[in-house]
Amino acid sequence: MSKMLVFCGSDEPEKAFPPFMLGSGALALEMELVLFFTMSGLNIVRKGGADAIKLDGAAKTLPEFIETVKEGGATLLACSAAFPIVDCQEEDLIDGVECSGVATFVAEAEEADVVLTF
Amino acid sequence: MTTEELANLTPDKEIDARGVACPGPLLEAKRGITTVPVGGVMEVLSSDASTNNDLPRWAAKIGHEYLGTIEDAGFWRIFVKRAK
Repeated sequence: MSKMLVFCGSDEPEKAFPPFMLGSGALALEMELVLFFTMSGLNIVRKGGADAIKLDGAAKTLPEFIETVKEGGATLLACSAAFPIVDCQEEDLIDGVECSGVATFVAEAEEADVVLTF
Repeated sequence: MTTEELANLTPDKEIDARGVACPGPLLEAKRGITTVPVGGVMEVLSSDASTNNDLPRWAAKIGHEYLGTIEDAGFWRIFVKRAK
């Protein structure tokens, strides 16, 4: 099974939604999906954070997209290196998100067939 | 299949994804195909032109059979046969 890794580095709607639009498509094509959230992208997986990020015309809301990729078996990683930068802690994150260090990201990137950055 | 053959098909499942942006129709097709018996046919209605390219590629990747598309008034009817 091929793997897609997506670097989610922003909570701007036009950068926050594409990882889920493309990622849910990757899952539909039976690829493995890993989403790595860092910097302001951590707000996507912060409790209540996704509710505030809206993009008119998108197929789903951001919380719906998060649920879709979780149901599809995606791995959601939160970059602990950025926690002090954006004032985030592990308990602030929604369920199903794992804390990850830079070595995990680099190892995932090395293994992945496709790496996208937003 | 010819347009006439497609039009005469009775699908096991019809999914109306009209008005939903990409990747909505694809995600609905992914969910919908699991409700069709193996060998059965799913029809997806989509007003998103990209679905015409996406569903054949999805079907080929997963191993289902894309049967064809009928263009209707402002939307497309896309037929996929569940193969596994």
